[in-house]
Amino acid sequence: MSEGDASTTSGWLRDEILPPLLILAVALTLWEVAVKSFDIPPWLLPAPTDIVDRFFKTTTLWYHTGFTVLEALAGFLISAILGVSLSAGIVHSRFLERGVFPYVIVSNAIPIIAIIPLLTIWFGFGIAPKIMICAIISFFPIVTNTTRGLKSADRRIIEFMRSINATRSEILFKVQLPSALPFIFASFKIAASLALVGAVVGEFYSSDLGLGYLIITSATQLRTDLLFVAIAVLAALGVGSFTLFGYLERKVTRGERIEEMQ
Amino acid sequence: MIDHVSLHFRSERGEVHALSDISLRVAEGEFVALLGPTGCGKSSLLRLISDLIPPTSGSITVRGGPASVARRVNQFGFVFQEPALLSWRTAIGNVRLPLEVVGYRPEQRTARCEELLDSVGLLKFKDSYPHELSGGMKQRVAIVRALTWNPSILLMDEPFSALDELTRAQLQDDLLKLWSRERKTVLFVTHNISEAIYLADRVVVMSPHPGRIKTILSPGLSRPRSEEMHESAEFMNWTRTARAALKS
Repeated sequence: MSEGDASTTSGWLRDEILPPLLILAVALTLWEVAVKSFDIPPWLLPAPTDIVDRFFKTTTLWYHTGFTVLEALAGFLISAILGVSLSAGIVHSRFLERGVFPYVIVSNAIPIIAIIPLLTIWFGFGIAPKIMICAIISFFPIVTNTTRGLKSADRRIIEFMRSINATRSEILFKVQLPSALPFIFASFKIAASLALVGAVVGEFYSSDLGLGYLIITSATQLRTDLLFVAIAVLAALGVGSFTLFGYLERKVTRGERIEEMQ
Repeated sequence: MIDHVSLHFRSERGEVHALSDISLRVAEGEFVALLGPTGCGKSSLLRLISDLIPPTSGSITVRGGPASVARRVNQFGFVFQEPALLSWRTAIGNVRLPLEVVGYRPEQRTARCEELLDSVGLLKFKDSYPHELSGGMKQRVAIVRALTWNPSILLMDEPFSALDELTRAQLQDDLLKLWSRERKTVLFVTHNISEAIYLADRVVVMSPHPGRIKTILSPGLSRPRSEEMHESAEFMNWTRTARAALKS
């Protein structure tokens, strides 16, 4: 392997990780210098060092983060289980496909913000309505992508399976679901970010916990440094989930990619 | 064994007769080629026989019972034009797939798969993924996949038409070797005249719109076949006859 090869670990670090880190370092330095030299008040724009300082001083941060992650994760998991199951049903039943799909599309057309008050009336101010928001907001991409993935399975393999009297569940688990995995992980990538958004928006409306609550209160109190901390944590969570599912997606598509290239 | 396949077949677009009054008897262990141009319903015929689609009229009998029963007891091994392998399974994993479905004894699965892969010279590639295999190798995997659980009837839908000339010749001989060993009844769909003559005991010549049987030839060249037979006068004669039958 040559030295510039991105597939070696050191090469990968240099080619993939180093450029964005350099850009970030330059941007943060400029920011820091600008804040200090123009004497910008911290409520308007805190310096990066102040934000880092606030990050380590905020002892309740992990408490809030944990709450938001819990909501997003629970909603996402509910959505993933229901969404993949519904897709399996849709692929196996014409009736379900025609009867349910229009409503899946309608569910995506309603702005999530508009249902939050309703969910609050029904389920109160606790964690339940937030979990539901996360589930609803991440449902659509999971159902549409998984359905597409299940349908992408090779028609002839399915014919082969039917010719040896395979049951529908054998076809589903041995052929259709594995074929759909790249699509499913791609949809999880989108859904996980959406679930985080759902959790934060839900907390905006009614909560005394979570990163959304932290953002609202620090904004009203002009504690801009804390606001930045919350945003940074959210960004890190989003990037983390995106990277995880992106990695899984690549892992399951590797074979097909190489085949396409040939 | 296939007793009196007589059927009309309508497609979704109204009254298209894909197949019109087809009757055919195939003996146990016979190698029959279905030869005809695209659109003569050869592939539909295979799907009818294997109970994947129902006939509009007429009936299909396989080994004394209806086709649906034959399908339920796994009598059919299907091979398609494309290998249609599962990309996330290795060669042996693909060959093992039907054994997981038909309820083959788990402890004998690996041995059976390895034996079959070995018979087509792919044993050392058993742990390779489809994208690491050549087109001919993939099609060999697809062929042995259709044989693992010992079905009595092999249905092949233009299995070699996507391969290059040399690979095709190699696979034809591989198939004949497998056939002489495992003694399956083979229904082999092709639009290639010399392929049909070279492989089959009988060649069913079909014509399109609607698909029907024109004539049935019995070249019966001596077995085992060899490459040189392609140049023999007998072979040429049969090719000419088949071509004339297709055109008439």
